Amino acid sequence: MPGFDFSNHNRNLALHAQGVPLPKATSTGTTIVGCLFDGGVVIAADTRATSGPIVADKNCEKLHYIAPQIWCAGAGTAADTEFTTALISSNLELHALSTGRKPRVVTVMTMLKQHLFRYQGHIGAYLVVAGVDPTGSQLFTVHAHGSTDKLPYVTMGSGSLAAMSVFETQWKGELTREEAVKICSDAIQAGIWNDLGSGSNVDVCVITAEKTELLRNYITPNVREQKMRDYKFAKGTTAVLNEKIITKEEISKYVTVQDIGDGEAGVGEKMEVDT
Amino acid sequence: MFIARSEYGRLFQVEYSLEAIKLGSTAIGVSTAAGVILGVEKRITSTLLETSSVEKIVEIDRHIGCAMSGLQADARSMIEHARVTSQSHEFHYNERLGVESCTQAICDLALRFGEGAEGEESIMSRPFGVALLIAGYDEEGPSLYHAEPSGTFYRYDAKAIGSGSEGAQAELQNEFHKSLTLEEAEVLVLKTLKQVMEEKLDSNNVQLASVTRDKGFRIHTDEEMAGVVSRLEGSGA
Amino acid sequence: MASLFSASLPSSDPSYSFNQAPTTASEPRQHAFYPYTDNGGSTLGISGADFTIIAGDTRSTSGYNINTRYAPKLFKIGGDGPNNENARIVLSVVGFAADGRALKERLDTVVKMYKYQHGKDISVHACAQRLSHLLYNKRFFPFYVTAILGGVDDEGKGALYSYDPVGSYEREQCRAAGAAASLIMPFLDNQVNLKNQYDPNSGPGLEKKPREAQPLPRETVEQLVKDAFTSAVERHIEVGDGLQTMIITKDGIQETYSPLKKD
Repeated sequence: MPGFDFSNHNRNLALHAQGVPLPKATSTGTTIVGCLFDGGVVIAADTRATSGPIVADKNCEKLHYIAPQIWCAGAGTAADTEFTTALISSNLELHALSTGRKPRVVTVMTMLKQHLFRYQGHIGAYLVVAGVDPTGSQLFTVHAHGSTDKLPYVTMGSGSLAAMSVFETQWKGELTREEAVKICSDAIQAGIWNDLGSGSNVDVCVITAEKTELLRNYITPNVREQKMRDYKFAKGTTAVLNEKIITKEEISKYVTVQDIGDGEAGVGEKMEVDT
Repeated sequence: MFIARSEYGRLFQVEYSLEAIKLGSTAIGVSTAAGVILGVEKRITSTLLETSSVEKIVEIDRHIGCAMSGLQADARSMIEHARVTSQSHEFHYNERLGVESCTQAICDLALRFGEGAEGEESIMSRPFGVALLIAGYDEEGPSLYHAEPSGTFYRYDAKAIGSGSEGAQAELQNEFHKSLTLEEAEVLVLKTLKQVMEEKLDSNNVQLASVTRDKGFRIHTDEEMAGVVSRLEGSGA
Repeated sequence: MASLFSASLPSSDPSYSFNQAPTTASEPRQHAFYPYTDNGGSTLGISGADFTIIAGDTRSTSGYNINTRYAPKLFKIGGDGPNNENARIVLSVVGFAADGRALKERLDTVVKMYKYQHGKDISVHACAQRLSHLLYNKRFFPFYVTAILGGVDDEGKGALYSYDPVGSYEREQCRAAGAAASLIMPFLDNQVNLKNQYDPNSGPGLEKKPREAQPLPRETVEQLVKDAFTSAVERHIEVGDGLQTMIITKDGIQETYSPLKKD
């Protein structure tokens, strides 16, 4: 069955009435912006994800793929922005297939608002939708309750006021691509520095009729400085209660063992780690 | 309240109280490197008087004691104030009150027959009629202070107050020296008291107390008193 | 801003899609007065053999906003004049900044009065007890702060005292307080008191001896403080902008400021 599963709803209501708090969702407390320019549209986002006052992810991606030339910047509950954009992206692909035309940004905006309105704001997705389609460059915002806007420059998220201050002082009609990228990244930085919900890096996506450029970590003004001390522990610092060695031969009875070597090349996929 | 002043700005009330002290029993304090000795004469006005009920040396805190001369009833409220101040200090600061600070606290109270500096109402109708010798041992070592009803105080190596104070102070002036031991100080206090007392000195009509680093404030027991008296007699004084 | 993202539970009552339900004019409305705000930030203190170091970030926040990037949380206590020259005691306060300032003013006044009344500088020991009383005196309308007091004791050893908002206190080797306390304190437990560390050469398994904590040299402590804060800045949104540090020795207080990340 498609759709949401509400089977825990009554139980959770009862728990809530007894004072059990709601689980804390990862919120992309966020600054996201978008700006039209001559021949295309730019959207940009910071890369901080928070859980309350804690930084959950220092370099998350808030620019979501909808279609090759339609992208979405998301603020609000991280899971909601990710799933909503993925769902609409999927449905849009089906729509494009059945119509045999390139998808339009206004279609994405309409699908999003209908989806979000149905859930009365409980899906906490706040989105900036941008793209270039046969009708030209388009830029919209969609709020969690389903309301939408169509404007030449937009900001959303907790850093929206900081970002909008940049647009309101620097925006002019007929921007070039470079000017639009500059004003968007400046607006994001205003959020990064002045809004605690936003931080780390600037991601930018430039969409024109010809191509889409995702400029991941376009600006990285918050690189962590070198630590003063080395925190490697001497071998044997942790007390070991017991030790049991399982040989490769033994474990091979149950699983397939593949030798990948020690080197960097041997690692299947490199995980993103904090230095 | 109206406070009478002379044309030279002297406060009659205070001067009267200073006079009152000169009628009080003699009290002596001697400070040595090891501690301070306090001594008082107990005037046994009647053979029916229970001598142990004459209390002229009292404890303020474990490390501070006090001898008095003058109106003993007045001393009670001063002692009470000093005790409260000392306890309050230890409560607030987790350390013992300094002997000088204790003396200052007593002298602050002594002036409360007039309005306070911040407009507090006066709490007494007249000055205290008692002088105190405050002996203590704090982080600076042993010290002895004399507090007057006028609210002034001075630190002394040796001091006598009360009716015999003039003669006694002259004696202390002659006999005191910095290298006095505690035992020598005990004898010096008794010897000086003996000279100014009308009655013949014995172990019942005088009282001694000491303040030392290790034992703090202690009033001499009857046995200790007898010991000092016999040493005094042995010294041929 | 937080309300923007807060989801309310669906219920059978008629609900509104906006935050405030409309109220009729006749209905009495209750207005609450909230005297406290949390201004975020973090502090930490470590005592050594003959010194104590106290540090705090200089960011002041309310909600998702930064009030200022330079609001000191460390204050010299006592000494001479309004600039506390020749002081030997430092108070750090974190929590509600206004209460922190009020507490600092009170303690400073008390300590200066102490010198006038007793003719000597107050000891950290006595100052610590007094601070506890200042806090407890407001037991039922507390100063909304976590305080750390540092100095050098009568024996010349580094002294560090930490407090809860109503005056419970303890002398410790190290303490982190404020927003990022839960991030920094475990690091300090491990690096200063060597918790969960065993001597590698002291035998096998359970026979291993825990490593014994000893007072750390000043250079190490300064590095730990710096690393604690640069790390807290990475993971706590209310910590950042600048690091104010005071090192108290018998010779006086050395104050330094260094920048932290501002995002």
